[in-house]
Amino acid sequence: MDLGNVASLSLFYPEIVLAGTILVLTILDLVVANKRAMAYLGLAGCLVALGATVDLYGTEPTLLFHRMVALDNFSLFFKVVTLAALVGAIWMSIGSGEVRQVHLGEYYIVLLTCGFGMFFMASANNLLMAYLGLELVSLTSYILTGMLPHNRRSAEAALKYLIYGGVASGTMIYGMSWVFGMAGSLDYATINAAMAEGGGNQIALFMAFVFILAGFGYKMAFAPFHMWSPDVYQGAPTPFTGFLSVASNAAGVAILIRFFYPAVSTLGQEGAWAFQALPALQWTDLLVALSIITMTWGNLSALNQRNVKRLLAYSGIAHAGYIMMGLVVLNNDGLNAMLFYVVVYLIMNLGAFLVVMIVANATGREDMDAYRGLAWRGAAFPAVCMMVFLASLTGLPPMAGFIGKLLLVAAIIEGQFYVLAVVAMINTVVSLYYYWRIVKTMFLDEPAPEDGPVAATASAMPLLGALMVLTIVLGVYWAPLLDYTTGSLGFFMP
Amino acid sequence: MLTEALTTSALLFVIGTFGVLVRRNAIIMFLCIELQLNAVNLALVAFSRYVGVEGQVFVFFVMTVAAAEAAVGLAIIISIFRHYRTVNVDNFNLLKW
Amino acid sequence: MTEHVLSYMVFFPLAGMLIVLCLPSDRHDLIRWVSAAATVPPLLLGIWLYANFDTTTTGMQFVERAAWIPAFNIEYYVGVDGLSVSMVLLTALLSFLCIFASWNIDKGVKGYFALFLLLDTGMTGVFVALDFVLFYVFWEVMLLPMYFLIGIWGGPRKEYAAIKFFLYTLLGSVLMLVAILALYFYSEPNTFDMTKLMDRSSLFSTEPLGMWPFNVWGWGFQHVVWMALFIGFAIKIPAFPFHTWLPDAHVEAPTAISVILAGILLKMGTYGILRINYPMLPEATADLAFWFLAALGAWNIIYGGLCAMAQTDMKKLVAYSSVSHMGYVMLGMAAFNTQGINGAVLQMFNHGTITAMLFLLVGVIYDRAHHRDIDGFGGLASIMPVYAGFTALAFFASMGLPGLSGFVSEVLVLLGAWPKYHALTIVAALGIVITAGYMLWMMQRVYLGPPNEKYRSLPEINGREIFTLFPLGVIVVIVGVYPRVVLDLLQASLNNINQMVIAHLS
Repeated sequence: MDLGNVASLSLFYPEIVLAGTILVLTILDLVVANKRAMAYLGLAGCLVALGATVDLYGTEPTLLFHRMVALDNFSLFFKVVTLAALVGAIWMSIGSGEVRQVHLGEYYIVLLTCGFGMFFMASANNLLMAYLGLELVSLTSYILTGMLPHNRRSAEAALKYLIYGGVASGTMIYGMSWVFGMAGSLDYATINAAMAEGGGNQIALFMAFVFILAGFGYKMAFAPFHMWSPDVYQGAPTPFTGFLSVASNAAGVAILIRFFYPAVSTLGQEGAWAFQALPALQWTDLLVALSIITMTWGNLSALNQRNVKRLLAYSGIAHAGYIMMGLVVLNNDGLNAMLFYVVVYLIMNLGAFLVVMIVANATGREDMDAYRGLAWRGAAFPAVCMMVFLASLTGLPPMAGFIGKLLLVAAIIEGQFYVLAVVAMINTVVSLYYYWRIVKTMFLDEPAPEDGPVAATASAMPLLGALMVLTIVLGVYWAPLLDYTTGSLGFFMP
Repeated sequence: MLTEALTTSALLFVIGTFGVLVRRNAIIMFLCIELQLNAVNLALVAFSRYVGVEGQVFVFFVMTVAAAEAAVGLAIIISIFRHYRTVNVDNFNLLKW
Repeated sequence: MTEHVLSYMVFFPLAGMLIVLCLPSDRHDLIRWVSAAATVPPLLLGIWLYANFDTTTTGMQFVERAAWIPAFNIEYYVGVDGLSVSMVLLTALLSFLCIFASWNIDKGVKGYFALFLLLDTGMTGVFVALDFVLFYVFWEVMLLPMYFLIGIWGGPRKEYAAIKFFLYTLLGSVLMLVAILALYFYSEPNTFDMTKLMDRSSLFSTEPLGMWPFNVWGWGFQHVVWMALFIGFAIKIPAFPFHTWLPDAHVEAPTAISVILAGILLKMGTYGILRINYPMLPEATADLAFWFLAALGAWNIIYGGLCAMAQTDMKKLVAYSSVSHMGYVMLGMAAFNTQGINGAVLQMFNHGTITAMLFLLVGVIYDRAHHRDIDGFGGLASIMPVYAGFTALAFFASMGLPGLSGFVSEVLVLLGAWPKYHALTIVAALGIVITAGYMLWMMQRVYLGPPNEKYRSLPEINGREIFTLFPLGVIVVIVGVYPRVVLDLLQASLNNINQMVIAHLS
């Protein structure tokens, strides 16, 4: 189905709810003195939007607004993920001491707008829409990163983010302009048809796709487009860092999959995809190399970090490399594993940043020394939760992260990429070392005399507990989530 | 015509990219990014002449986004200038390895 | 009740852990008794299992299966045969005794016993799991508690030892995971079911791969997978050159954890090779057994023995003696005949009991003197005669004195290995002399001679310590005199495993 502007609005209500919330908050910000209420309003808006999104399940796949936006299970999946990340981030922000310093009204407005942009990254069916979605997310992210007042790190991180982001998106649309020139359209279906005819110069096409990959990869923090991530993670307010690490990654995965699968590939027998017109062999090699470089670079750089947020940034780069493995195999099992990992990563990484926030609230520090003997300083529960999240990030059973990694590695072994599988597994062992340095500091080291007791932020405890329970439950019984991600692979095929 | 336009666009894009890599003044780097965007605009308009009007529409959006980016970017540059009294990126060294 | 006996054995300690977590953390004695109570049912069930085990069939017994993740054909599938039932018994016994050996832990008591019970669940689970994913999950579940048990309650270099243990074992297990997935996708239809994979062993190709270096060595898919699994298991055994985590972990770990490490965790390596490599990859086993099992085993015997001789720390000496004794297991199972393979598994059982005694005995003296320096003692036999008696029993069993259990298994291994590997058998026999050398030398320096005045007032071994040592001593003597109590359990299953490989021997 292919709907016009007015008819589309009837299937667009999650976005309308979210946009309405943003507008209401903007007006309230002008008239209401108590800004804390805005957090609860934002939270309510997200939950209503979540309900609306879930309500849309079962609708037949449709193209809205003259083929600009796709409504299918795939985009609904990423909308749910984005909203879940928003709910988590707002909940975190309520308890965060850092966020209390900023202009709260603007903070929540810009945060919700960032999530709104991610909706379009996930559902764009046109290069223009993809570009606009990505830019909306980028611009709001720059603002949120630089939002901490009188904070040099925050301002510096925002500037670095801006420069890297500007170059990446410039490179990306340069590639898009070439694709437009060769395919004759910005619409994914037309591009797909033109590729099927073998249109365009192969080398120019290859370069154009590499440029586009750079833009998308920058959102996911692939090496060598990852330079912004450690600085931004460290400089930005912690709740936003948590949101960025999971949601920006998820949106990057969404836009990448939607462009490289329905737009430029065809679905063959038994769920296997094939790139059209692209020299397939070179693509696969390029993706394998990118994946290996990304995970290895991320893990090796993380080894020496003393700042936990920065360490988690490098770990995020490594995880982008793991997720990338799913793209290499060109079949539905790989995509499924990627979606599964996105959900699992959302849960465990948000949890880890929540603990970082709790420690920062109590001590005002983010470096490793602030975690010394955390378990014996009155914060045993956050410490145990952190251990669970880190075990999950490492990929140890029975945590959800293990299942995510199992599915990814299973997909690439099925595709017979044994070298990639072994490299990924050795990377897991490397990552154990730096994750476990945190665990060692929390449990094995004795607190120094100057380390005071850590009072855990009360409002964050229910969220923390829920994330920990989810991490373990999904590690033992993951069939429902797997069914959900399998069901989310429905693309609107042109 | 198309070849000349695309060559110019490619040259502009390379100059822009090169500028970001070698210049150290944040405002100049930012201008180089704008140069990249203009290279893209030129390519889009040139292609549009042959394949359809969509490219010209894209150009309008790129211009709008560039304006928004300039607004945010200059705000950030001002905020960092307040801290450091300089916009030379080599001096911004709180965050590294 | 009886149809779920294995599940009860696996999950009773886990339930105990949950109860312990709910207890107030300052009621130390209550926590200890609850933990002890949680390990009693597995022990009783283990004895019941021993009594009701059908020694004549080769199939899996007491099988339970239930769908777990249907999309990948992953099942909750447990069962035992002769090989695993002996290990399950050993686990149940040592876990029970180690709770009492841990009685004097007084720092973080609640955490210690909770982690210990979790470890118990993981260990029992590994020996009964028959689904690969389940096996892997239990295998990894052991790592976390082990890390903390060494890292929090260990000696001065506990952090180094704990992370080293963790990194080595994880390296092995991720290679194992790749191998498991390769087997899964290679089998048609895809399955994680170990018994089905054993039946389909002929599916796994031995055609040399085109990739360097495998084309030079003539290795096929089966050989590469065999190697990936073998490295995972060799790290646990530990076989040279992957053994270096062992002395560190043993020296730093608290006594009970050393006992568990040496008594049970090391057995998992050889158990895995017999359970997975032998029946599933028989051709590769036949091709690679000489270098990677027999020759490496003999080298382990000599190398471990010589290292043990050079130690001045009693615990380190016992640790290296483990390296040496596990070499017999490797040599024995590479013999591919009844004596060899039965001897190997009997040696696994015996080493579990004897080394457990040795570590407990070292723990007893360490609790009193607070050091383990071999040269720092002297004449302990006249100060603590009962203690010295137990020590002598354990030392002689470890040396392989006739009438004690070590003798039976070592002789079986050597008898089995002789027809196939003459030179290696002679080398292995030399290992017995080396064992006698370091054991007697330690005996002489620590227990004989004039008593050291400094330790004149050391108290004699107490009732709780005797309680932990006595059952092990009884087993050592019984198995030494009448080894059929264990061998009868093993024979049918082991011969079955053996037959699968023999068909491929050239």
